[in-house]
Amino acid sequence: MKILVPIKRVVDYNVRVQVKPSGSVDLDNVKMSMNPFDEIAVEEAIRLKEQNKAKEIIAISIGPAQASETIRTALAMGADKGILVQSPERLEPLNVAKILKAIADKEKPDLIILGKQAIDDDCNQTGQMLAALLNWPQGTFASKLELNGDSITVTREVDGGLQTLALKRPAIITTDLRLNEPRYATLPNIMKAKKKPIEQTTPESYGINPAPRLEILETLPPKEREGGVKVESIKELVEKLRSEAGIL
Amino acid sequence: MPQAKTLETIARIIGAKNLLTHPSDTKPYLTEWRENYRGKALCIALPLSPKDISEIVKLAAKEKLHIVPQSGNTGLVGGQIPFDKNRAILVSLARMNKIRELNPTNNSITAEAGCILANLHHTAETANRLFPLTLASKGSSQLGGLLATNAGGHNVLRYGMARDLTLGLECVLANGKIWHGLRALRKDNRGYDLKNLFIGSEGTLGIITAAVLKLFPIPKGETTFLAGLQTPQQALDCFHWAQARSGGALSAFELIPRIGMDFVLKHIPETRDPIRNPSPCYLLGALDSEISAEDASEKAQAILSELMEKNLIKDAVLASSEARREALWKLRESMSEAQKREGASLKHDISVPLSKMARFLEEAEAAVKAFLPEARIVAFGHIGDGNLHINISQPVGMSADGFLALREKIGRILYDLVESFDGSISAEHGIGVLKRDELARRKSQTELEMMRQIKRALDPDNLFNPGKLL
Ligand SMILES: Cc1cc2nc3c(=O)[nH]c(=O)nc-3n(C[C@H](O)[C@H](O)[C@H](O)COP(=O)(O)OP(=O)(O)OC[C@H]3O[C@@H](n4cnc5c(N)ncnc54)[C@H](O)[C@@H]3O)c2cc1C
Repeated sequence: MKILVPIKRVVDYNVRVQVKPSGSVDLDNVKMSMNPFDEIAVEEAIRLKEQNKAKEIIAISIGPAQASETIRTALAMGADKGILVQSPERLEPLNVAKILKAIADKEKPDLIILGKQAIDDDCNQTGQMLAALLNWPQGTFASKLELNGDSITVTREVDGGLQTLALKRPAIITTDLRLNEPRYATLPNIMKAKKKPIEQTTPESYGINPAPRLEILETLPPKEREGGVKVESIKELVEKLRSEAGIL
Repeated sequence: MPQAKTLETIARIIGAKNLLTHPSDTKPYLTEWRENYRGKALCIALPLSPKDISEIVKLAAKEKLHIVPQSGNTGLVGGQIPFDKNRAILVSLARMNKIRELNPTNNSITAEAGCILANLHHTAETANRLFPLTLASKGSSQLGGLLATNAGGHNVLRYGMARDLTLGLECVLANGKIWHGLRALRKDNRGYDLKNLFIGSEGTLGIITAAVLKLFPIPKGETTFLAGLQTPQQALDCFHWAQARSGGALSAFELIPRIGMDFVLKHIPETRDPIRNPSPCYLLGALDSEISAEDASEKAQAILSELMEKNLIKDAVLASSEARREALWKLRESMSEAQKREGASLKHDISVPLSKMARFLEEAEAAVKAFLPEARIVAFGHIGDGNLHINISQPVGMSADGFLALREKIGRILYDLVESFDGSISAEHGIGVLKRDELARRKSQTELEMMRQIKRALDPDNLFNPGKLL
């Protein structure tokens, strides 16, 4: 069985980004990492391989040249080979889904495991769009995944509880936080990963124009929190809640 | 002057609301955070300027009172706590928290003694600079206390202790004079280095009111790694190799023994073992790069691979994200907390020359075990600086009180050994009241006499922090 795992290079989850006066997010010298949900997707694929349920794992990243670092991280965790689709453009989910469809048509995987969303644009669309384009069943927000022959059981986190789905291969899975805890890449595996192949392509080679269709009008930082004040009496507190906070 | 009159005079100097006498107001200043020390004082004064402090000092001298300076109250040896209900004025620097100058061209920052360390970090960052002093208490400890204790922390390996990061000082002296020594010079050989008398003086020579500190470029990238190995000696071998190969870019090198890791995994939520097969000990390291995070990672990989080929390390992992980096550091930083949950413990903050560290550790372990065979020895910390925390956890099944009653005896065993290895019984945390008698026993007469002469010269009436250090 073959698994594709698309992974995105994003601003590190713990970095607090700044908005530049020009209105864009400052990405100079900002720490970049693999999208955390994608890390979970890689881990899940590796676990399936370790259980002898999968044979080959291909990590795909669509993005700038440095996204090859992100692919190396996936290879060091245990993926077998990488595909870097190099594109300098800001990528929208639909374009990503189209590129992934083209790769799926060629690679013929049994499973594509994606993160449920990327933490930079928070779109939460690519997996669903890809399922539609491929006309495959989808199990989104998976918190548990079981494979039995051709059938896949996915436990999903939904509002107020869990839902269990049965899917047939080939299928799309998107991962939620509780699916697993990704491993650390060990040094010997990091060194081995350097020798694993990464195929280099472009969106154009799949006949796809990656130009965005949406225009970003404005990026604003959150409103600065104002410092608190000490009030002298309950009366004053109530007054302030009424006049300033507008709560009462 | 009757007490009421004295308080009135102080209130006039600093404003009545900045003078605290009511127990509910004074309690936070008089209680050490672990509640090991509970103090007493005539009052707590929160001045706003060196001039305020100067006037308080003159008044205290006239009235035969004494002064205990306090900054963030995170000191671990009781130095910041007063113990005299009638004669102690606790002078808190907390309100003196202005940044006086941020000068990126000179790579320096001039800040008042009440500035919280984390705020200094943020301010330096606004000018794209690094103030490298950092420790677990950075959210509370303040510049005055950090200098008065010559604090160390995680970055000593690359940037040195508080002393190494200070260019100039402003202090209020025992005669009430303000010493304006806020120089921003890297070279200044005009006689005795006065600032270095006050740094590490634990509030016994004068009150530090402001300082000029060194700033550095912010490294462009960093990588953190954890490696499993067999013995502390191997950790030291790794350290020498890594330091030589990294060209001074190594910024942290910490030892974690397996027992410490076990305590952390058992007691601290959201921790897990990063390396599948357990090792007898671990080293946690960090390496900076002036180019990029990828460059730091490449360099660390190269060094670690060499160490693996030399059979010094068994396995290693590198942090691939900030969350992973924090998870690795959490293992190290939760060590004290985890040990606390494991029962009573006796702590020893020692240093020995690096060349003798491995032998010292072996002998220390043997000596403690000979005295108390079931003692659980957790030796961890800044091994790259030759500084370890040798913490002994109570034997399973022994009572906490029974164990703590052995404090003196175990202390003596370890400190005797430290002395025979030409080490120090206080590497980082200072002397305060906790180790005052131990210092008197162990420092040479010549050294003690020099220290007393300096104290007499600068503070002849023992106005500042009596009963501490000496
Ligand atoms: C969780 C934790 C971790 C720690 N880790 C480290 C570590 O890694 N390395 C390390 O070195 N220390 C460490 N410490 C100890 C402590 O944080 C440092 O000693 C720190 O420098 C004390 O700063 P402070 O502002 O709290 O000073 P305080 O506790 O207020 O005072 C400490 C001493 O300095 C004197 N003093 C304070 N202000 C002045 C002043 N303006 N002028 C003259 N004297 C003054 C006091 O009288 C006292 O003797 C740690 C403490 C905690 C609680």
